[in-house]
Amino acid sequence: MTQHNSRKPAVDGVQLAILAHRLEGVTRKMANTLLRTARSGVINIARDFSCCIVTAGAELLVANEGLPIHVLAGPDIMARVMKEYSPVLKRGDAFLNNSPYHGCSHAADHTLLVPVIDDEGNHRFTVLAKAHQADIGNSIATTYHGAARDVYEEGALIFPSVKVQENYETNQDFVRMCRMRIRVPDQWWGDFLAMVASARIGEREIIALAEEVGWDTLENFSATWLDYSEKRMMEAITAMPGGRMTRTSTHDRFPGTPEEGIPVTVDVSLDPSEARIAVDLSRNPDCLPCGLNLSEACARTAAMVGIFNSIDHRVPKNAGSCRRIDVSLRENCVVGIPRHPTSTSVATTNVADRVANAVQAAIAEIADGAGMAECGAVIAPAGGVISGVDSAGKEFVNQIFLGETGGAAAPRADAWLIIGHVGGAGMCNLDSVELDEMRQPLRVFSRKLVSDTEGAGRFRGAPSMSVEFGPVGCDMQVAYVSDGTMNAARGVRGGGAGGKADQFRVRRDGTLQRLDACAQVTIHEGERLLSISCGGGGYGNPVEREAETVARDVAEKWISAERARDVYRVALTEDGSLDRDETVKLRHAER
Amino acid sequence: MQFAIDTRGTFTDLVVKDTSGFCRMFKSSTTPADPISGVLNVLEVAAAEYGMTREAFLSKGRLLVHGTTHALNAIVTSRTAKTAFITTKGHGDMLVLREGGRTDPFNFDHPNPEPYIPRALTFEVTERMLPDGSVMLPLDEEELAGIAAALKQLRVEAVAVCLLWSIVNPDHERRIGTLLATHLPGIPVTLSHELNPIIREFRRASSAAIDASLKPMMGIYMSNLEARLRGAGFPGRVLVITSQGGVIDAKDAATAPIHIVNSGPSMAPMAGRHFAAIDEDSTTAIVADTGGTTYDVSLVRKGHVPIIRETWIGAPHRGTMIGFPWVDVKSVGAGGGSIAWVDSGGLLHVGPQSAGSVPGPVAYGKGGVEPTVTDASLVLGHLDGDSFLGGAMKLDRTLAEAAIRTRVAEPLGISVEAAADAILAVVTENMVQAINTITVNQGIDPKDAVLIGGGGGAGLNSVRIAKRLGCRTLLIPAVGAALSAAGAMMSGLKAHYQAAAFAATDRFDFDRLSDVLNGLAERCRVFAAESGAGAESVEISYTADARYSTQVWEIEVPLRSGRILTPADLCAFIDDFHETHQELFNFSDPSSPIEIVGWRAQVHCRFKDTGGIDLARSDEEEIAASTRRSFFAQKGWCDVPVHNFEALAVNEFITGPLIVESPFTTVVIEPGVAVARRPSGSLSINMAVAQ
Repeated sequence: MTQHNSRKPAVDGVQLAILAHRLEGVTRKMANTLLRTARSGVINIARDFSCCIVTAGAELLVANEGLPIHVLAGPDIMARVMKEYSPVLKRGDAFLNNSPYHGCSHAADHTLLVPVIDDEGNHRFTVLAKAHQADIGNSIATTYHGAARDVYEEGALIFPSVKVQENYETNQDFVRMCRMRIRVPDQWWGDFLAMVASARIGEREIIALAEEVGWDTLENFSATWLDYSEKRMMEAITAMPGGRMTRTSTHDRFPGTPEEGIPVTVDVSLDPSEARIAVDLSRNPDCLPCGLNLSEACARTAAMVGIFNSIDHRVPKNAGSCRRIDVSLRENCVVGIPRHPTSTSVATTNVADRVANAVQAAIAEIADGAGMAECGAVIAPAGGVISGVDSAGKEFVNQIFLGETGGAAAPRADAWLIIGHVGGAGMCNLDSVELDEMRQPLRVFSRKLVSDTEGAGRFRGAPSMSVEFGPVGCDMQVAYVSDGTMNAARGVRGGGAGGKADQFRVRRDGTLQRLDACAQVTIHEGERLLSISCGGGGYGNPVEREAETVARDVAEKWISAERARDVYRVALTEDGSLDRDETVKLRHAER
Repeated sequence: MQFAIDTRGTFTDLVVKDTSGFCRMFKSSTTPADPISGVLNVLEVAAAEYGMTREAFLSKGRLLVHGTTHALNAIVTSRTAKTAFITTKGHGDMLVLREGGRTDPFNFDHPNPEPYIPRALTFEVTERMLPDGSVMLPLDEEELAGIAAALKQLRVEAVAVCLLWSIVNPDHERRIGTLLATHLPGIPVTLSHELNPIIREFRRASSAAIDASLKPMMGIYMSNLEARLRGAGFPGRVLVITSQGGVIDAKDAATAPIHIVNSGPSMAPMAGRHFAAIDEDSTTAIVADTGGTTYDVSLVRKGHVPIIRETWIGAPHRGTMIGFPWVDVKSVGAGGGSIAWVDSGGLLHVGPQSAGSVPGPVAYGKGGVEPTVTDASLVLGHLDGDSFLGGAMKLDRTLAEAAIRTRVAEPLGISVEAAADAILAVVTENMVQAINTITVNQGIDPKDAVLIGGGGGAGLNSVRIAKRLGCRTLLIPAVGAALSAAGAMMSGLKAHYQAAAFAATDRFDFDRLSDVLNGLAERCRVFAAESGAGAESVEISYTADARYSTQVWEIEVPLRSGRILTPADLCAFIDDFHETHQELFNFSDPSSPIEIVGWRAQVHCRFKDTGGIDLARSDEEEIAASTRRSFFAQKGWCDVPVHNFEALAVNEFITGPLIVESPFTTVVIEPGVAVARRPSGSLSINMAVAQ
């Protein structure tokens, strides 16, 4: 903060409020354009994208309300890399970056960077539009290649800050390369157009704003806004109790991992006197020969997601508030800084979620009323990538979002059910069964929540969701990376764990065959896939849950009367109403 | 005579068109416990002004158009009927799962929203239709009989049915409807394919659930309304405003109440369209309706009022999605009652908290301590404490000033007037962002639009909003304080029909789609012949909900001739689609096929006298124009003239700073901005005159 205090505060509290609104408005406009015009389900339904503005000095200034794992760290690194490789930036340039070694989250997240240049040719800001692609030319038809031993086996085209537009014209050489490598080239091209439209709207809006208020005012605003955000962050931390906590959250055994899976250990220290939160991730295993390693962007962001989920949610998330956060990473660490050619294909979800979950759970253990329980792990087959050739001979590839719950209990509220995964924060939309059945040769036989799988607690986690689906008129490949079949989402402060994930082939005769947790399987015509997602952990001891609420949980079939009695220590009468006397006895016995 | 009555949160607005063809506007307090009393009260007020008894006054009525928030309030306060939900086996959690999605990603203080119908009242029935309309599993009628018995035992008051793919083959839904009628006589049932035939099962289910849950109470409301109006001597036709900006007979509203959930606000753009056209010769307008606590924004694009399907009651993802098309209205919590506060980091906020009407702004002297937007306008001298709302309420400026000083000026280290000005600047920005959200979605550049300021509080900062948006003209209609009622006065009878037939331009089945469109046309003609009998003109228009192949969010594209019979018709449609996409999003992809998922027809029956609205005027002389000491950031404190709204000269622009006032509103004209009255009575405010 000190380096900015010396600057003359040319922007007052009024202008600060107004310009902050206006720049947030710019990112909203960018996001809206991308959402409404993109061609892939992963963008237009699942909202797996983000838009943000970084300063000329490559500090994150404002982001849209997007997937948390996308933006907190990474845009800054990519903007810095862009300046390094292309010292002379011109209006009309655009760069593509999907390199996990250059600040991108993982190869599937194509990021378009547009430098915003003033009339004198000075670089003032950079706008970014980042979107998860339906296909990126991997060696198998999925953008999450969990078993890939390295980036070569992963197979994606990697763009380490490559200029794809000059003078607002797209370089057709690059387009031809993509069209030769990406499985659904028209869909990719449509998404590319949507990203360009989004980034260019951001550029246009910032230039228009600068014409109105002046570039210097905008830059002074940026500095003041980051200072303001830092101040808010300091207050939020100061209001919390201090403490240290080490917590481990273990990713299941997958191909390429050790027998015990990947235990992710976080050391969290909360220091109100200095107004700092530190997360040390360096005491973790080296990078592994699989696609689960984190990129630097994801390692940093995952720790920050755990922190921001745990504190006053009104603190702005940008480079200013992040000044109060120290994330320690080491090179060649599975949750650190990977070296080329380590694969980070699945960096945004599985192991990243273990980091975020461990951090927010550690904070909950330090301070009652803060932090959160663990969210369920992903990616179950119902959130996997399906592909094949339909009965008309047409190829299809798409990620589906039929349903993963996973919501963790919070200190003051029951879980939001469909959180997807902790890094996605529930922003993803859920596919409509009808829309999915219309767009793909797919049938969804059932989709329902499973009783008694919630993480029990004073506030309860989400129950698991079970989805049964299969191909129509063809065979279908389904690729997924389902963590959580061994290690459930744990509760905090006495809260219970959520239900575990699982997946089965339902054979034509109706019998079940358990499937590997990380696989690309072929489901034949007439067979079905049964996908069960993780539940989320509970917050606080279940016997502290209000008895009336438990009775209601039973009436609404979230839990059975037996579970109410055994876990929540609440007794019900024949007609389902609360048996107060018996409940008092049960709960008294518990103490 | 014709009456348009809009029951709103605080006031019930009435616009009367009398036999001379002129209109007059009246207001009376809303009576929440029995809204129909409020309707009768405001008619009483008007009758007195016309020097008649209410009975004599009402006996001259031919038509009464009513806008009501009764259905909306019932949803918001969960006072709807005990309703059950029946759906396809395996999909009983449809209303719980919704469509996923969340806002405010780091805020976990909100639990998952409850489903509109509890799980305990949700029943799955064995059956399954496929996307091509074939039957995968036949309906298990025995199982259904068991469900019906359970519903009876649970004393369910209404039933909603939504089965997968009922839009393609409705046989099972229909059969369930028939069986329920037998097993549960007298219990209202809503079938999703009849009510809202759109793809996306959750939206269809949600519409059906809401509709069914409203039927018992809205049935009673509508029959009471008609009976009490008859009892009071009204012999004419009673019509109700729909969420889609039309009107329907009260009895039709009772049988499908979902049509009237957003009854009032949908009419503001209809009025806006009229005034933009007659006063400014413009077909594009941004229509803002300012209330005490909410700011509603709607649009007119090329003479057309856009309709959307992403319709939430309450906050997106946390509220209730009604899944039913309505006029695109964006509401934000910003208005005269919005509270200004400074956070611990020194940032000024206005809202989202509101002082409401109790305690209201500090200046009301009813115990409010937190300064509001109204307090800021008072401190700046834009409002006069003695003449507020025609003197109906006194405002205490000293209290307002003290509150702004301690809660805003001192924390920010600025003067009281600078603080008050800042409050207006921030609330203006909140409103501008709301406008931007909707104009971006609908592809409108505000610079090409006329801003229409409706609602009693519109005049206080609409000039600022127009400047900020770059609009050249701001229009404040004389009936602006009752904009929705005015819109209702000029609206014809409308019905909307839709069909969910999928089509793609690279494999277009001309015969099948011709049948679909003919089916819609036929339903429109039947409506025109029955409900619309005696109309002066009948107009049927068609649109398609279409998108590029693999996009998921459709855009609305008009079908020029209402039919696609030949490849040439198809080419014209394709061109129109690309053009609309270009307009909305600044690009098109001519190489891509286009998919159409829905077809809609609207029939509009116009009756005599529903065209325009002309306010009866006194054409008063300017009564010795007074002055008021007011503050403007550009000028500091100065004495500015105060003009009588009705006494301004027609088409003669005068330049601000000045204030225009009527008993209903106060309009602040900032320095360098010019204002004149149009022949219709509207104030036309020109931003560009200073140059």
